Amino acid sequence: MKTAHAMQHTDTTSPLTITGLTVSYGQKPVVFSVDCEVPEGSLMAIVGPNGAGKSTLLKAALGIAPRISGDIRVYGQPYRMQAHRLAYVPQRSSVDWDFPTTVLEVVLMGLFHTMRWWQFTRRRHRDKAMACLARVGMDAFADRQIGQLSGGQQQRVFLARALVQEADLTILDEPFAGVDAATEKAIIEVLKSLKREGKTLLCVHHDLSTVSEYFDHVLLLNVRRIAMGPVQDTFTAEHLQQAYGGRLNAIQLERITHPDSSVSQA
Amino acid sequence: MLELLWQALTFTAGYNTSLVTLGSAMLGASAGMIGSFIVLRKRSLVSDAVSHATLPGLTLAFIIIGLFTGDGRWLPGLLLGAAASAAAGLWGVQGISNRTRLGEDAAIGAVLSTLFGLGVVLITVIQAMDVTGQSGISGYLVGATAGMLASEAQLIGISALVLLIIVFMFRRPFLLVCFDRQYAYTQGINANRIDMLMLLLLLTVTVIGLKITGLILIVALTIIPPVTGRFWTDQPSRLVGIAALSGAVAGYIGAAISSIAAGLPTGPLIVLTAFVLFAIGLLFSPRRGMVAMVLAQRRFRRRVHLRQGLLALARDEAIYDELTLKVLRRQGYIRRDGVATPPGLVAARDAEHEEQLWALYRQLYPDEAAQLDHHGLEPIDDSLPPDMVSSLETRLPLPTRSA
Repeated sequence: MKTAHAMQHTDTTSPLTITGLTVSYGQKPVVFSVDCEVPEGSLMAIVGPNGAGKSTLLKAALGIAPRISGDIRVYGQPYRMQAHRLAYVPQRSSVDWDFPTTVLEVVLMGLFHTMRWWQFTRRRHRDKAMACLARVGMDAFADRQIGQLSGGQQQRVFLARALVQEADLTILDEPFAGVDAATEKAIIEVLKSLKREGKTLLCVHHDLSTVSEYFDHVLLLNVRRIAMGPVQDTFTAEHLQQAYGGRLNAIQLERITHPDSSVSQA
Repeated sequence: MLELLWQALTFTAGYNTSLVTLGSAMLGASAGMIGSFIVLRKRSLVSDAVSHATLPGLTLAFIIIGLFTGDGRWLPGLLLGAAASAAAGLWGVQGISNRTRLGEDAAIGAVLSTLFGLGVVLITVIQAMDVTGQSGISGYLVGATAGMLASEAQLIGISALVLLIIVFMFRRPFLLVCFDRQYAYTQGINANRIDMLMLLLLLTVTVIGLKITGLILIVALTIIPPVTGRFWTDQPSRLVGIAALSGAVAGYIGAAISSIAAGLPTGPLIVLTAFVLFAIGLLFSPRRGMVAMVLAQRRFRRRVHLRQGLLALARDEAIYDELTLKVLRRQGYIRRDGVATPPGLVAARDAEHEEQLWALYRQLYPDEAAQLDHHGLEPIDDSLPPDMVSSLETRLPLPTRSA
């Protein structure tokens, strides 16, 4: 069968392959010659110090930030051709929250690409959006103006908008930045359930202490690629030292890489 | 007088007048629609630049047409000239704000005044020329529909209708680009091209509106209706709808009024009508209207007093505040002599429980709590997601059931 064959073909290629990517603002490279291959079905973190180019890497992969060199493939093809298989959760600060729109309408934006111009928003669109809102615990807020929400609630809405796209690859830019603990838990639960459904997730992450707990793969980045691979092999004190330099001391490193072993502080 | 107005409003004042009022309504609707997106994109001032930039092209076209034919009043040619110089103005604004350190507002100011100045100079040239229709050129400043030809009204009406359809077709890309350009890009939308299209439509509506509202006042027709819509809704689709409707009503009524006497300028009348609609929203909108604000403030005050009163009941404190007593009595929570009723006791216990949950929330998530609108007085289930409320519940010390 032709379709089955096509499916198999795309399944064997990585959801996102980045080769030799360089991005620069002005004369200063923010991301330099980075190679990265996101394994299918992984929940992967991009970790690095401030200014390491984590968000820029994502934006370049999505075609938002202009790249100087390098190649981006989404399921083996140029991004433009696979855009529908990919969902993006931007940083919360990228949006004007005074914009006159409700929670439900923001989630519906994720379905715009399926609607033709002569079609109006139908019941089934709304039902789908409501189901995704329920998944992040925000269905009771569907008619709120987005500016009335707290930071964590706004982040949940963004996640619901990505869910409604039913994408195979979801890219999230600091989803845990500035959210409350309950939201962090709700978001990671959704991400893990997506992973169980076989979806791939790539996430810029800033909290080193939760990397081992949340993610299975990690890319350590500081303009250049420091290391990449499964968390247990890659998320080591040595690599962290390389990525962060003197910003982490020995005790911090020990605690981050071995969160389970209780390091007794005398 | 009133009879004439009634005739104009009911399309019984003759073919030409009907065409003009219909054309104006159509223009108002499309200006309101595209204006909504321009306002959401925070580019209201750009429309000011566009409209003023039409003058040199308009006057230049008049001079050229006049030199060839002896009469400069050929609307399609004039509109083309206006569009060309408006496009040049836009290009200038974009160029200055992209290539220099000047902001868009400064670029707009520079381009707008220069081109308008040039246009005024050209008007004086026209006055000195030997062509017919010189005096008609001033009609493009404030709008004049009195002597409008049927063909002109048709041209305007049809163009406005086409514009309406185009805006409708692109409503979703427009909305995405206005809300979040980068996200729009990930949805397969070329944000730069959509921005260009928005400006192009703005330019078109400005140009076809020249004859009706005049170039100075078309800005009002692209900005006032969306702002009116903002009073009535939080939803962008409705905002655009209300803006289109109020623009259409303004165009229709304004043009009808101006038709009842020669010399009544159409543009100002349309804008004044639009302003009346705006003022109605400003005063009476249930969300943001001034009346609603005052009422909401009163309700809020009562809610504060009710909560304070209930907390006082729960903690067995004496209440002295008159308003608090009044609110509690009206709810049936206390008797005339100030003793709490059974429902009052239940409500007091609930209020105390809510208060503890809110206090815990404020303690655990101070930043989040500070972000919420009037937190602590709404029922907590309405303000926080259920998983958050239940996690707060579990951390609360068990309620001590006294009495």
